Amino acid sequence: MKIVIGHLFPDLLNLYGDRGNIQCMVQRLKWRGIDAQVKTFSIEEEINFNELDIVLLGGGSDREQMLVCNRLKEIKDQFKNYVEENGVVLAICGGYQLLGKYYETDQGKIEGLDIIDMYTVQEKGRLINNIFLKSELFDMPIVGFENHGGRTYINDNKPLGKVVFGKGNNGKSGYEGVVYKNVVGTYLHGPLLPKNPQLCDYLLKNALERKYGRENINLEPLPDTEEKEANKYIVDRYSDKIENFKEKIRKLI
Amino acid sequence: MTFRGKIAIKFAKFVAKLCLKMGRQGVTWAGLIARKIEPNILQILSSQIREKVYIVCGTNGKTTTNNMLCTALQSQGKKVICNRTGSNMLNGVVSAFVLATNDDCTLDADYACIEIDEVSTKRVLPTLKPDYMVLTNIFRDQLDRYGEIDITIDILSTAIGMAPNMILVINGDDPLSLSLAKKSGNKFITYGISEKVFDADEDAEIREGRFCAMCGAKMHYNYYHYSQLGDYECKECGFKRPCIDYSATEIEHGDHLAFTVMGKRIGAKYKGFYNIYNILAVYAVASHSGVDMDGFQKMLDNFNPENGRIEHFNIKDTDIELNLAKNPAGFNQNINAVMADPKDKDIIILINDRDQDGNDVSWLWDVDFDRFAQENIKSITVSGIRCQDMRLRLKYVDIESRLEPNIATAIKSKVENGVKNLYVLVNYTGLYSTRNILKKMEEEQ
Repeated sequence: MKIVIGHLFPDLLNLYGDRGNIQCMVQRLKWRGIDAQVKTFSIEEEINFNELDIVLLGGGSDREQMLVCNRLKEIKDQFKNYVEENGVVLAICGGYQLLGKYYETDQGKIEGLDIIDMYTVQEKGRLINNIFLKSELFDMPIVGFENHGGRTYINDNKPLGKVVFGKGNNGKSGYEGVVYKNVVGTYLHGPLLPKNPQLCDYLLKNALERKYGRENINLEPLPDTEEKEANKYIVDRYSDKIENFKEKIRKLI
Repeated sequence: MTFRGKIAIKFAKFVAKLCLKMGRQGVTWAGLIARKIEPNILQILSSQIREKVYIVCGTNGKTTTNNMLCTALQSQGKKVICNRTGSNMLNGVVSAFVLATNDDCTLDADYACIEIDEVSTKRVLPTLKPDYMVLTNIFRDQLDRYGEIDITIDILSTAIGMAPNMILVINGDDPLSLSLAKKSGNKFITYGISEKVFDADEDAEIREGRFCAMCGAKMHYNYYHYSQLGDYECKECGFKRPCIDYSATEIEHGDHLAFTVMGKRIGAKYKGFYNIYNILAVYAVASHSGVDMDGFQKMLDNFNPENGRIEHFNIKDTDIELNLAKNPAGFNQNINAVMADPKDKDIIILINDRDQDGNDVSWLWDVDFDRFAQENIKSITVSGIRCQDMRLRLKYVDIESRLEPNIATAIKSKVENGVKNLYVLVNYTGLYSTRNILKKMEEEQ
């Protein structure tokens, strides 16, 4: 078995250790004896979505997103077909924003892929801190680090999780990210996948099932001691009320 | 000096002493108090400097460059004010001036050498009027505080706009610094390394500034040194590495450094390719501002990159090298330095996530830790607040590490059961405390 991961435009969208997400997927496949191939696409390269099993769209600065936006227009239909045919996508931060209809910044409006009925508006102040969520998909919480000026409104779509500590999509709804078909969009860095092996395996399982058929896939569990401990560290740190209070005071000063 | 100013200085000095007694640095508090009592304190004191005020900014190399510049001036018999400890936000800068005053609350100084955190430039520059700004480089660093690298550039650009007469001294090998200097309209001079030194494959490391900062097209490199530093050219708009004013050639690096600039051969006995840039920056700004350069080599021979920017200790026959590693560019350079040592070694990595470190530790995944998978690395211990993240990072390049959150315990264990050659790599907030622990252990043995 083999999974092909397409990393889109890492030359522009690679703001925060996206390498970690790739490395995590590749290793977790390798540890189970499944082949993994990473194809990176720079902005001028042709993309054949038919040969991809997972697409990663990372984060970039507003300036870089603007550059990507023009290219995205050209591949919009292919990308949309891939998603509608249950292609697996992980879109983070800037990449997440680009999945929607548009991202309105004070420098102008960036047109999105319009794959999911959602939109993003830049509002005053950035939402920056550690964050953790409770998702319906898993028992284990999802932890990460958010840092975004845009506020995303996902309309009636399903969020990735409920915010237990942090701000999430827009600081108001109490939810973070979006799940649509086999697409996961989120603001979470950290990088996201290493400390959330449950989410990484969810993406891998979806990709494998799509390619080889549900009945043929049984993703062996891995020990994940280090992963679970690193995840638990963040959860414990922000579940502790006294620690939370101290953190708030520190931020105020 | 106003009465208010005198009160501010006296009170700040008192607080600094008190803090020192309690075993704290106290620099930040002293600056804050002085500023609260006399808001114009920085303006008042900096106007008493007789010759020039230099500031040093940039992601990496600030403290070494600034301290070296200060040493170069002092070796000429000049009196210099300097924030040597690397306290480089507004309060630290104010404190450097306040704590240097005489008993009558006036300054007796020819020069000031001040390093400033990039984000703090917009708070410092309205009152401090520097003659020169050395900009070492612009890398990705501590992202959560700055938002994005573009935000750092915007802040620097705003700050430079407040000081139109200030001459910029920039690293011409860095396209981000060059575009910033060009757009500012300030006068600028450049330094750089003008020959191919490494045979690196191009894709691996250039992460910032791959796209032209002027027009957005993809940039072409004839060669590059590390990160985005090198000989670059945009074929679209013609933006390219400029004609370098202080150009280094005939480079030697490894266990020592040597190069030729302005027809002079310069050598230094420490490691780290990046230190060539630090030395060049000092050479450029000192030379351009009319400092006598005859004693430069002698100064370098006696200069010791201070405050943990490579510091050596020896405890119970274990050689220990302590070094600051706070962002991907810096960490990769540190890995080079460690790998240049062929002997068996133990490594301790300490990662904190306090505000000065950056609360986000994602950057660990942009460091090339896979290069630590070497026979002569006998053990890696991970420590600090985010040791769990560091252990996980290493796991995904198939490197095993031992978790020991307490740094003192980690060091003790390797001194007792190690291979007598220990590297301690720490990020910002771990530096001061780790250094104190090592000093104390060295004295107590």
